[in-house]
Amino acid sequence: MTSSIFMHPAVLFIFGAMLLPLFKKFNAQKIWLVVVPLLAFIQIRYLPDSFGCVEWLGFKLQFGRVDQLTYVFLHVFTLMALIGSIFGLHVKESGQHASAWLYVAGSLGTTLAGDYLVVFIFWELMAFASVFLVWYRKRKRSVDAGYRYLLVHTFGGLVLLGGIFLRYQHTGDLTFNPLSPDSATWAEYLIMIGFMLNAAVPPIHAWLPDAYPEATVTGAVFMCAFTTKTAVYVLARGFAGFEALAILGAIMTLYGVGYAVIENDARRILAYHIVSQVGYMVCGVGIGTEMAINGACAHAYAHILYKALLFMGVGSVLEMTGRSKLSELGGLYKYMPFTMIFTVIGGIAISGFPLTSGFISKSMIIAGAGADHRLVIMAMLSLAAVGTFLSVGIKLPYFVFFGPKDSGLQPKEAHWNMQLGMFMGAFMCIFLGVYPEFLYNMLPYAAAAAEYHPYTSYHLAETFHLLGFTALGFYIMVKYLKPHDVSNLDVDWFYRRGAGWFMWTARNPVSASNEWISNVYKNVGMRFTMAVARAFSWFDWEGIDWALDGSARGVVKGGEQVRQFQTGKLQHYIGAAVAALFIVLIVVVFI
Amino acid sequence: MIVQFLTYLRERPTMLKWLFMAILAFCVVFDFFADRHHAHFWGDHLIGFWAVFALVGCLAMIVFCKGLSHVWLERDTDHYDK
Repeated sequence: MTSSIFMHPAVLFIFGAMLLPLFKKFNAQKIWLVVVPLLAFIQIRYLPDSFGCVEWLGFKLQFGRVDQLTYVFLHVFTLMALIGSIFGLHVKESGQHASAWLYVAGSLGTTLAGDYLVVFIFWELMAFASVFLVWYRKRKRSVDAGYRYLLVHTFGGLVLLGGIFLRYQHTGDLTFNPLSPDSATWAEYLIMIGFMLNAAVPPIHAWLPDAYPEATVTGAVFMCAFTTKTAVYVLARGFAGFEALAILGAIMTLYGVGYAVIENDARRILAYHIVSQVGYMVCGVGIGTEMAINGACAHAYAHILYKALLFMGVGSVLEMTGRSKLSELGGLYKYMPFTMIFTVIGGIAISGFPLTSGFISKSMIIAGAGADHRLVIMAMLSLAAVGTFLSVGIKLPYFVFFGPKDSGLQPKEAHWNMQLGMFMGAFMCIFLGVYPEFLYNMLPYAAAAAEYHPYTSYHLAETFHLLGFTALGFYIMVKYLKPHDVSNLDVDWFYRRGAGWFMWTARNPVSASNEWISNVYKNVGMRFTMAVARAFSWFDWEGIDWALDGSARGVVKGGEQVRQFQTGKLQHYIGAAVAALFIVLIVVVFI
Repeated sequence: MIVQFLTYLRERPTMLKWLFMAILAFCVVFDFFADRHHAHFWGDHLIGFWAVFALVGCLAMIVFCKGLSHVWLERDTDHYDK
């Protein structure tokens, strides 16, 4: 059974990452970059329900557990790995691809894990592999942001581990199965907080808009897909029906989109918007009905594709112009028309236009909330949909590609592989919108999904209204929305300023008092210690040695006499050694 | 070709404006004929409810968020580096 661990798709990515430098040496890196994710994408179809069960230190670990809920995430994760790798083909550094793949491996490993220990192992692999995607940008800001990202995720990992330990202490059971809100204790809530940190639930979300905009162009495309959606998977697996998630998810949708309205950096807008979109999924998981869970999974699937598409679009602009701030862009449609079309497709898909993937996935969660008679949550989600179209559907493409002013930039169109990656993303956005059954058949509750029909005349009318009149709002307020070169405070202020204060305290009061104490010790403590030592030494010498026949004095005297022979000069020693050898020879030969 | 078409449209803002208004009018008219069997709450029965919701929500969100940014949250991009 242990050997079956090698059929794990994460193993494929880990070996693929290890062999990358070899393929680069033989100029075949590009082929390898397509082959491995493609193999994984095919491989997940042939996984057995359970595999890779290992006994280790008395624990039963399960590396592979496949059911409908796992499969839909595996499907989109491997597809995204393929699209992301194609988008990054032009990047020559093997290290960047390797860290992206190890990150994918962590995500797949978490998704397939059957118990909490395996979840934790791959959870940490994800954090430690993905931070390199930030560091590879190699700017000081990125290095700093990477360290903050790592510290926050290490903290989240420890909370998760604490929860796992407590749960093991209480129940003696580590299998990763659905939990009931009624029997949840501190242990379960600690695990949930660990998961929520990765899902970027406010107020523990600030690592996301801090780190993602500082990542490399391809790194951000991977990062936007895996960390938060893996967290959605583990929440859906373990914590479906927890009321706190429904409320926090609805708050998330508005919190993220509010920042997306006011931010200036295109990738920061998209990063904040992840918070908003993941809010829909967290909310769906929290509502916990079959329809809502289906909606959360469908939305995760659709979201990964169009958010990655948007990150690819603005990433291409950043790659070709070196800029990502809306205030420095504008009028690019003339030079990057294909990038513009793909980005706009991403924008309309995320806004939920009919015939795009957002229309068939987001509505499922809102309908789930409506069917469960949660009107406030439903209104919040609908308002977030308005903000989505406003910030990412219109504002972002408008100020990047059209805009009131022309930036004067004349970049070339993005590389062919970037366009191919974007095309694949855009194709999937429209394909899912036209043929939703493709996605619905993969959902965990396929029977409930088959009963849901997104293309009803009322749903169309509602969507037309929401989108059309949001656009009217934008049209009225466009002057007021003009971007400025600023960024906005968020709760990361507490630890970024807090760390500054901590360092100041460490440098000034703590350091000064440390010095004072060491001075006191030097002047008072040291003298006292020396005096005591002298007293003991005197007693030892005069008292004890006298009492014992003075042998110590004798040894010291003898040693002093022997010392006289030692001149410390090397030639004397060599001379003495040669003389001794000579004498020995004489004795041996003549006597 | 796409570029020329978009430039052609951009040079005719009045035409675009009327086109946009026509689309909005179509949205409202479409609402009269929508089938309301699966209404979740009272708002679903009102014609144009979501249009008002979207317009008011959009304007309120812009005013609230932009206002909050101006009076409180807005900082230079190198705020933490100082």
